[in-house]
Amino acid sequence: MTTPSQTPPPSPVPVDEKRESFEREALVHLDALYRVALRLTGNASDADDLVQETMLKAYRAWDQYEKGTNAKGWLLTILRHAFINEYRRRTRHPENVDLDTIEPFAVFGEIQEEDPQGAFFDRIVDDEVLRAIDDLPEAFRETLVLSDVEGLSYQEIAKVLEIPVGTVKSRLFRARQLLQARLYDYAVSMGYIKGSPA
Amino acid sequence: MNCRECVEHLYEFLDREVTPDLERDIRRHLEECPPCGEQFDFEAVYLKFLRARCRAQGAPPELKRRLLQELFGE
Repeated sequence: MTTPSQTPPPSPVPVDEKRESFEREALVHLDALYRVALRLTGNASDADDLVQETMLKAYRAWDQYEKGTNAKGWLLTILRHAFINEYRRRTRHPENVDLDTIEPFAVFGEIQEEDPQGAFFDRIVDDEVLRAIDDLPEAFRETLVLSDVEGLSYQEIAKVLEIPVGTVKSRLFRARQLLQARLYDYAVSMGYIKGSPA
Repeated sequence: MNCRECVEHLYEFLDREVTPDLERDIRRHLEECPPCGEQFDFEAVYLKFLRARCRAQGAPPELKRRLLQELFGE
């Protein structure tokens, strides 16, 4: 019979140190993760669960994260994988949108006489903007959120979404144009601007 | 550089994601072409508006509390 070993289990990083570095590098991105989760899942309750699951996974895998590199990108990658694996199917209907069939629409061309400085944007409230973002096709939505909401570089977005930088550029371009066209339609429907007759 | 080429790089330029050479070509075109200049200004307003509208929201305090409890048992 063997006697239990007296040596403690291997612990590469002392707990206090792990906690301290996790708080400093990971928990500071809680708001960012929540905003992205909210736009991906479309509701606060799933966003809560997705963020919690992401942070618990991240803490368990914290030894694999190279300290001082891009924690935000690393966390967003974990969050996106968790979303794809567990939430996408039940939180949103599967999308079969052919992104290439979405026609570009140049708002500036329509509005350059009436409001070339884009003053009408100021009249659109936060909730309306968020609703319009939520209505974008998922591939557009996640790219736009990582860029415009979270301020990631094209390279960082490419890494999180696992797509080439060229695809990030084209998706972002079309996502912003589509969103702008919808906000423009909304502004016309609310009478904020006259717009051009249909 | 013509207008179409210039507008193709619109967001890359505004996001500061262009090479120095391309940036120089775009700036030169914008100086010579007021309509493109106006369009770039309009799009810059749009991006600023988007960022201002979307970045305010943060995680609920309750989520943070629950998370600290789960992570560190407090």
